[in-house]
Amino acid sequence: MTRKMILVDTSKCTGCKACTVACKEWNELPAEKTQLVTSYQTQKDFSPKTWTYVTFIEKYKDQTMNFLMRKAQCFHCGDPACLKACSSKAIRQTESGFVVIDHKKCIGCGYCTENCPFGVPKVDQTLQKSFKCTGCIDRVENNLKPACVQTCQTGALMFGDYSDLLGQAKNRLSEVQKTHPQAQLYGEKEMGGTTYVYLLMDRPEVYGLPVNPTIPLSLTLWKDVVRPVGGIAVGGAAAAVVIGVFANIVKGSYRSKDD
Amino acid sequence: MSPSFGRGAMTNSWSDLQNAEVFLIAGSNCAENHPIAMKWINRAKEKGAKMIVVDPRFTRTASKADLFAQIRPGTDIAYLGAIINYIIENQLYDRNYVLNYTNALLKVAKDYKFEDGVFSGYDAKSRKYAVTSWGYQLGSDNKPLKADSLEDPDSVFSKLKTHYSRYTFETAEKITGIPAVKIKQIADTFCEGKPGTILYALGMTQHTTGTQGIRAYAVIQLLLGNIGKAGGGINALRGEPNVQGSTDMANLFNNLPGYLPHPINTDQSIRDYQVRNGSVQEKPLVALLKAWFGEHARKDNDFAFSYLPKINPSVNASMVKLFEMMDKGQFKLAFNFGSNSLVSIPNRQLVRSALTKLDMLVVSDLFEVETAQFWREPGVKPADINTEVIMFPAAFVYEKDGTLTNSSRWIQWKNAALKPLGEAKPDLEILDSLFKRIRKLYDGSTDAKDAPILNARWDYGEEASALKVLQELNGYDETNGKLTQSLADYLKASVGTVSTGCWIYAGVTGNGNLAARRKNSDSTGLGLYKDWSFAWPGNIRILYNRASCDEKGQPVDDKRKLIWWDAANNVWSGNDGPDVVDKTKGPDTPEGKQSFRMNPEGAGRLFAANYMSGLPVVPSADGLPAIGVRPAGLCVDGPMPEFYEPTESPTDNLLHPKVSKSPVALILSSSPEIQKMGKANDFPHVLTTYGVVEHFCAGGITRNIPWLNELMPEPFAELSKNLAQKIGIKEGDMVEVSSARGKVTVRALVTDRLQTYKVNGKETETIGMPWSWGFASLSPGPSTNELTIAALDPGAGTPEYKVCLVNVRRA
Amino acid sequence: MDVSRRGFLKLSGLSIAALASGLGFDPTIAEAKGFVLKLEGSKKIPSICHFCSGGCGMLLYVKEGKLIHLEGDPDHPTNEGALCPKAASLLSVAYSPNRVTKPRRRAPGSDHWEEISWEDALNRVAQKTKEVREATWKANDEIINAKTGQRDLLSVNRAEGIAFLGSAEVDNEESYLISKFCRIIGTPYNEHQARI
Repeated sequence: MTRKMILVDTSKCTGCKACTVACKEWNELPAEKTQLVTSYQTQKDFSPKTWTYVTFIEKYKDQTMNFLMRKAQCFHCGDPACLKACSSKAIRQTESGFVVIDHKKCIGCGYCTENCPFGVPKVDQTLQKSFKCTGCIDRVENNLKPACVQTCQTGALMFGDYSDLLGQAKNRLSEVQKTHPQAQLYGEKEMGGTTYVYLLMDRPEVYGLPVNPTIPLSLTLWKDVVRPVGGIAVGGAAAAVVIGVFANIVKGSYRSKDD
Repeated sequence: MSPSFGRGAMTNSWSDLQNAEVFLIAGSNCAENHPIAMKWINRAKEKGAKMIVVDPRFTRTASKADLFAQIRPGTDIAYLGAIINYIIENQLYDRNYVLNYTNALLKVAKDYKFEDGVFSGYDAKSRKYAVTSWGYQLGSDNKPLKADSLEDPDSVFSKLKTHYSRYTFETAEKITGIPAVKIKQIADTFCEGKPGTILYALGMTQHTTGTQGIRAYAVIQLLLGNIGKAGGGINALRGEPNVQGSTDMANLFNNLPGYLPHPINTDQSIRDYQVRNGSVQEKPLVALLKAWFGEHARKDNDFAFSYLPKINPSVNASMVKLFEMMDKGQFKLAFNFGSNSLVSIPNRQLVRSALTKLDMLVVSDLFEVETAQFWREPGVKPADINTEVIMFPAAFVYEKDGTLTNSSRWIQWKNAALKPLGEAKPDLEILDSLFKRIRKLYDGSTDAKDAPILNARWDYGEEASALKVLQELNGYDETNGKLTQSLADYLKASVGTVSTGCWIYAGVTGNGNLAARRKNSDSTGLGLYKDWSFAWPGNIRILYNRASCDEKGQPVDDKRKLIWWDAANNVWSGNDGPDVVDKTKGPDTPEGKQSFRMNPEGAGRLFAANYMSGLPVVPSADGLPAIGVRPAGLCVDGPMPEFYEPTESPTDNLLHPKVSKSPVALILSSSPEIQKMGKANDFPHVLTTYGVVEHFCAGGITRNIPWLNELMPEPFAELSKNLAQKIGIKEGDMVEVSSARGKVTVRALVTDRLQTYKVNGKETETIGMPWSWGFASLSPGPSTNELTIAALDPGAGTPEYKVCLVNVRRA
Repeated sequence: MDVSRRGFLKLSGLSIAALASGLGFDPTIAEAKGFVLKLEGSKKIPSICHFCSGGCGMLLYVKEGKLIHLEGDPDHPTNEGALCPKAASLLSVAYSPNRVTKPRRRAPGSDHWEEISWEDALNRVAQKTKEVREATWKANDEIINAKTGQRDLLSVNRAEGIAFLGSAEVDNEESYLISKFCRIIGTPYNEHQARI
């Protein structure tokens, strides 16, 4: 399958949250107890049962309201930190560009959570498994759109081949920039080019997104410095893993209950 | 809509929104309440269309607008009047359209007047207008006299010009709180884009002046020549899944199916009925009587007209008034199928009190809605309530066969996909079983009052079949028992030879079940989809489309061709079904000129005149009252829209302080202890109420869906940062909102989307609250309708949910 | 390689290193394979949404009589496969534990429901309809004739004591039968939420 892309065109999003329901419906995720967080936002963060939600930002300046909605979910990075961090090889990247967790392999160690620059994967402490948006890979591999894209009424979510859609995104951006000069694409270059690419109405920091998301250093050491040496540096690799594990223990995410 | 164009329905369709060049969305928060609209609006915007949103709050819809204006709730007519004035003064109107397709040139009766905020014919005692002076000057042929030019002082156009000359941008600013420059910007933007469409919903109707607000839209759209065109029109976004259908079917005290006026007590014969309603109503009435009473409806018994109940015209039994009647003890038995009045009726104390007066309440619903368990609302003692309640478990939409009519007037069939849950049954089956049982109880009765029950045609099979009912709506040729093939066949048939349960649905199953059609190709690119389901009337997708052509019958817009006169074949033809009197009558004939055939003038009505067409010149020889052909739809509160303050308002009417509020608004007054009125001194802020995208109406279904409760778990009060600071609260704190009628405690949502504004120089605040909560369900919450006021539009009976006065403090 | 959590931890960092050094799974060439679609073997049945007046098309995926998934009908010209959050949630109405699934009755003064049979429920309502109709029947309105000044009796055939609310939430055929039912038994007091 060719590389896919989902364009999140926030200039068309009305914050109806249908994407979040469709996600829960398709993936059989239960509702969680919420209350109003800010504006019309009721879901604060990702959780093992909430893989996508909509953020609401109200920016009032010069008697003009910019009511900014953004659907948040896993970016499905081109260069995924979670995949690098995963201790059990449970995370892989499909040819189509989606980053998926194999729950048969996942042990809920939480490295992915710790290392994701967007804070996406979340470990279910009872199941001891990490969960996040799958990109509805089961749908995609069967030639259906992801559930969120399928349900989007406003046209804010589009699904297609990466190269085609990126071109469209750029055209749309130049239109949007006529009225919103700060508008920009986010995800085209970030994290090796993400599968979910955003057309933002404003700078990423306004949306609370990292300006230059990066892979944590410990992971870089392990995968990009040690790994290229391959088999001849097994000892070194092991050492690097220990460093990585240690880093995660310090951050408090390494848990072992039953051993 | 009906007094302006002749039909009470959205003029265009959802998919037609893509054809607009400019949108005025005012009185609709479509991104929340009709989310699918945004698909088509976004498509138009991608092609360069401009979107104007006018709303008391900066909504999710407003987030996509090119131009937004925050308005004080209930003051729309003030800025719309200013736009009408601007269009006339600057000659921005479509002259050809105004001359040919509106009543602009017709001469208004000499005794018509508007003075000091009141139209001629007002009776202060009954708070009603006599409408006789709102007519035309008639010629010897009983037809309206036509002026030679728009400038004739008697012409409708001149009356319009004079009436709105009082409405300047500056006055409108003082009333609405929208800066004058912004109103001008709205006017310019809307007039520049052709075609332009207006979207409204309950934000416009839920006022004591709701009907007149819509009339103001009609006046603007007729002046600009936007009605009858692809991308134009007035899109009345109907609120519920089948509200178009349920009004077509007349679950209304003053109508019979197909918008027939309900017979009143002085209609003792079909002839009497025609004197009031015109000869045009004879056929559909008789066809309905044939559908209901079959062979018992014969010419020799006046088609069983005597079987029908006749209403007392002095009793207004519209929804909210009905609860007032119930509270006074009139009803012993009430059925409540698919609604939740205990949450949805304004000033809900009235409903709470009224339901206790019944012997029996029969509820049919999916969930145990608040209304079904009113006897155990917190604070109520069940032992004190003697109402017996029977609750039927109803089947859900996908558990039954049948049709729903959407806002585009598409009658769409669906087959049951699932068996009803548990012992639930479709309402169709419940009604059928119930009627059969009642009929059995009357078996053998010879009492005249029981004849309608015993003689009704009621045969939908052992297990009631929705298709059989739909076929009854389509109608039969009563001479051979075959289904009527089309609307045209129904229209051709002579009186008494054809039956139909709802004449505007004629043709829906004539040639197979057309409501079930699923061909979604659209060669026009205009989104007509004429082979998808069936649109009433006669599969016309865009109403009044004759007005999209010039005098020669040719489309004025090359890119958006709907219909045209095909001179070679002597027939109206086109991409859409032609909305013409007769397809074979060309643009040179009187019939072929009519662009609004349901109006007695055949034209769009800038001035909603009192008029009956076809009244004979010579009185009838037998001395009986004359029968005309077609009466005009009237507004009971004036032939032209006038601005009145809401029933509870923070200020006086700037235009006429002595007549500040609508002089004919219906304000429930039978229970002064329930319906208290608030003053601005005690309740200084304006409350406006609305829905959110995550819930639906009274929440009977959606508050039982965990996924939706997660997305919007509780009601709230939106207020400006200024107001929050004044009362010392921050976002997330609990606040108590109170009106003269009640109080509720909810979470505060402090926002810049509401700004303090000036009304006639005085700083004013609007508070916004969604209303979808009640004490039951998985997500209980206080009902906002504790606060609202039962003050109604005098014509439509729609309550003023959108405005009342409140105070707010930290809870 | 199916490593259980317990087993994995025993293997410790060494096996990770082994894999990292190119001996095992390489995600960059991994392909998503064997994603079985849960919809396989289900029937697609179109329906119409039950919320606003959009009339959007829904597709119900029904497997062995059970609704397993619901999404927008891609062939429907209004919504082209999309659905708002309310419509997208409608799977949960089909088997909601909160649905009323049996007729029930609340006796006068009672503080609880009791379940009753359909037979009982329908009979009670039919009986009551007849009883109220008889008790509140109004054959005539009396009015003063404007011309003659005399009292006129006008036949009106009204069951004054019965009201019927409903509904913009039911199908056309049901809404129509409500209208017809009301007028045949003699009540014009048929209203619904279209007004409000």
